[in-house]
Parts: sequence; C-alpha cells; structure tokens
Amino acid sequence: MFNRQKFPPISKKNFYLFDSYGFLGKNLCMSETGEDNLEKKLRNLIETIDVANALTEPLTASIINLLKITAFEMNSEEASVLIREGDHGDLRFLSAIGKVAEQLINLHVPAGKGIAGFVFSSGQPMAVADAGEEETFYAEVDRQTGYSTQTILATPLRHNGEVIGVLEYVNRIGEPPYEAFTPIEMDKAALFAEAVASLINAYEAAKLFRELGEKMINGATDAKFDEVREWLKGLRSAPEHKEMLDLAILIREIGSRGEAEREMCREVLEAVVRFSDSKSETSFLSY
Amino acid sequence: MTSVTGYETGKFGTISTYFQIDDSWKLRTGKGVSVAIIDSGIDENHPDLQGKVLESVEARNENKRVLFVPSETGDSAGHGTACAGIITKIAPDAKFHSIRVLGAGGLGDGQSFLAGLEYAIKNRYRLINLSLGTTKPQFFSPLHDLLDRAYQAGCIVVAAANNLPQPSFPSVFSSSLISVSKSEETDPIHFGFRFGEVIELTAPGVNVRTAWLGGGYKSLTGNSFACPHIVGIIALLLETYPNLTPFQVKSALYAIAEENLRTAVDSE
Repeated sequence: MFNRQKFPPISKKNFYLFDSYGFLGKNLCMSETGEDNLEKKLRNLIETIDVANALTEPLTASIINLLKITAFEMNSEEASVLIREGDHGDLRFLSAIGKVAEQLINLHVPAGKGIAGFVFSSGQPMAVADAGEEETFYAEVDRQTGYSTQTILATPLRHNGEVIGVLEYVNRIGEPPYEAFTPIEMDKAALFAEAVASLINAYEAAKLFRELGEKMINGATDAKFDEVREWLKGLRSAPEHKEMLDLAILIREIGSRGEAEREMCREVLEAVVRFSDSKSETSFLSY
Repeated sequence: MTSVTGYETGKFGTISTYFQIDDSWKLRTGKGVSVAIIDSGIDENHPDLQGKVLESVEARNENKRVLFVPSETGDSAGHGTACAGIITKIAPDAKFHSIRVLGAGGLGDGQSFLAGLEYAIKNRYRLINLSLGTTKPQFFSPLHDLLDRAYQAGCIVVAAANNLPQPSFPSVFSSSLISVSKSEETDPIHFGFRFGEVIELTAPGVNVRTAWLGGGYKSLTGNSFACPHIVGIIALLLETYPNLTPFQVKSALYAIAEENLRTAVDSE
C-alpha cells in the first residue's frame, strides 16, 4: 500500500486528507534532522488521531441526544439525520434513534430519491401524511428495515446557506394510525434543524481529522514498524511530502485552538478543493 | 365584479392599470394555458396528468455547462408530479412543460436551478411554478437578474417560500414575482394576500391530497404545495384575460383576496 506513485486528482471524496496518498509514511521519511525528529513527528501524528477521536465521539453522542430531545418535542420516537455523501446529491444515514436505528445507520439514499432526497436537493421542507402507502422509496427502506413508515416530516439541514443534510421525524409516539405532522411542528423542526446542522458541521470538520487518523492507524498496523521505516527511507527523495506533513500538523494545531478556527480552516480547505476542481480535471499535484 | 387598480411603469412613465374582472374566471378550466414546472420532473403516466405534459426536459451538466435535453426519466422524487397534480385539479385543461432540475444526472444544485429558470424565461413560458428556493447568498444576485428578466418578458413566476428561519431566494424578491406560503385553508379560491409582507400570498398547503409517483396520491404539507394552488388560479385568470401582465396578475390576486376577505367577514 505504500508504493503508490501517482496522486489521484483532488476531489471532495479523496480530500480527507492526503490519506489516500499514504501520507503518514511518505512524509515521515522527509525529516531532515534524523530519526529522533522522525519519531517526534510520528508522535505528533498519533496525537492527531487522539484529537480526532476526541472531537468526533462527543459530537456523535450530542447528535443522538439532540434527536432524542427534539423527537419527544415532536411527539415522535423515530428521528434520523442524513448527510451528503459525495458531490452528486447522494445521502447516507449518519445518526438515528428508534426501533430500527441500527439498521438505518449508513444506509445509502441515491440522489433525488424519496422525500429526503428531494428535501436535500430542493432545500424545501415537507411532510407526508401517508408515506408508506405506495411503492415508494420509503416502502423499499421499510422492506430493508422491517419498519412501517406512515407519516414523515423532513427538513433541510443548512450551514452557511448550503444544504448539508436532512433531518427527519417519522411516525408518532403510540400506536397507528398516526396523525400527520402539523405546520407548527414543521416550524419547530426548522429550528431544531439549525442546532443539528451546527453539530453536523462540527462533526464533518472533525471527520477530516478522524479519517486521517484512522488511515494512519491502519497503515501502521498493517505494516511492521520496521517495514514502515524501510519504506520511509525509500522515499526520502520526495521533498513535497514534507510540505504535506507540515500541513497536516498545522491543521491539527488549528483544530486545537477553538471552534471558530476549526470552522475557518474547514472553509478555507473546502474553498481550495473547489478551486482545484474547477481549475482542471487533472490535479496539478499529479506527477 | 372585482375592480383591480394599480400602477405600472413603462417607457411612457407610470400609468394607471385600473381594470375590472368579472367572476367568469372561476368557471374556467385553464384551457390554452401552459405552465412550466421547474422541479423534479413530472410523471406523465399518472392518470391525472396523461396527455397534459407538452414538453419534458432535464438538466445535464456537460463541460461545466448546464444543457437541457429531452427527459426520459420522469420524476424520481414525486414532488414535481405533486405540484402538477395540484394545478390540474384547479385548472384541468392546463398543459405542462416539465423542466427537471432536481435529481437528474447528479444535478440539483443552484446552478441547474438557475439554468432551469433561464430556460423557461428564454422560451417565454407565461406561467412558471417554482416550488424551490435556495438560501445560498451567491445566488441572490443572479436570481435577482433572472427574475427581472422574467418580469420584463411577461413571464409570471410564482415561488414558494422556504418555511425556514433564513430568507430564501427568489421568494423574497417581492417586486418581480409572486411568492406564496402555506395556510390551513382548503379551498383554493380562498387564498389570502398579506399586503406589506415579504411573502405576500397564502394558499392551501397543509395535508394537500395530490398526485404522486406510481399513479398514487399522497397528503402533503409544505409551502411547495401552496405555490401550485396560486399557479392554478392564475391559469384560470390567464384563460379569461390572456394579456394580463405580471403586475396586473398580482393586482388581480390582491383584489380577489380582498374580495374573499370581505365575503368571509360579511358571512360571519
């Protein structure tokens, strides 16, 4: 896994963050001050992993807690958060509470499919009183989960004007038939969505770190440390990797300084990716 | 008889647009009127909509430009079909141009939304249903320009408010389009006009039973479904008075809503 010779073009998918480049090892080898410095940098990067886990786990728990509290306010027991996946309008369930919560997690929703797909792509909230009556996307989800969706309210999650996901409430507390969600509840859900969206945004920022960390852990675990060192030595002649390592450490440092800094950092990084995507299909980093 | 008064500014200055409309529009069916629906597509096989879709195009992103090509995918989300279903209940002889900008080919962003609106304006479709919106600030200016172009071209654009704490575009552009939010009223004729509010019109939008995918029906709630109620009413007005300008249509809606209010007060 360490002998990759070319970078893939930069896109949102592989942006997180240099991991697909075998980032850790390649950069560690670029130390110009010897093995001690090398190990210091390794420790720094492992700390990055800890920071990442420390960031994402409380956020995930907070999202679940918020779902529980708001679902109760909405007289519902089933709620879920879907977030965008890739650049083509696809969604996936990030968090859910209720009877089939575990089955929903990571379930993929194709672009534009179902009420969630529409709400995500249009930015318009909507409620459906009889969601499961016909052969719809929800019937398909219900078949997979064994659940029966009858009434649903879906509202977009926005951050800085951009739709980043969908918040859904399904069915009511108690036994069917369930009453439809009301316009007042729709307004309430829009307010709840603001709070959830803030958490999702923080979660996604933290995910940048976490995924980097996970890849690094996997890389280090799959290979013996000696092998990593051998591999590092073999790559000493690639100075651009040092710059990438420095960049990752810089990001970790920014991440530790506070929410505003993390937010700004994320926005800047995403702007760079957008710029890069729009500039050329072929990444200038390719070699 | 409903009197409509207002003022319109043209190349000769500001003129009075006083005119009167009788109630004959309430008996119309939307014959000869076509509506562009910029949305997720329309299921033209739905029993309520068969033979009513004149054109069906969808956005394609080619070389970073949005093009419109004939659509063969119908409607995967159901929303456009639902809007068309509401309009056809009010104006059963109205026809549709389906301009799919959502859920097709990975699109659905503001860019295709803008392109869909531009397509409708270029084709000078008289009546445009826009049950969509965006809160992205970068779309404020281009949408504003497009809506001005629509107004100058005589296109009547009806947009849904977004029902969210943030303002959405274009529904907040009060001068160049007709914006609608939902009410719990059930009779489409009894819509409301909130003069001086950003979102001026209210129309039925709570548990609206309408066409859905697979030939079925659903009960839907949202501003998205208030918007086509007003479009249906305008289709009836346009059949009766085909030369109404966007300004006159808004004036007529205001006058009719005032009449509705007076009637309601008198009957109490």
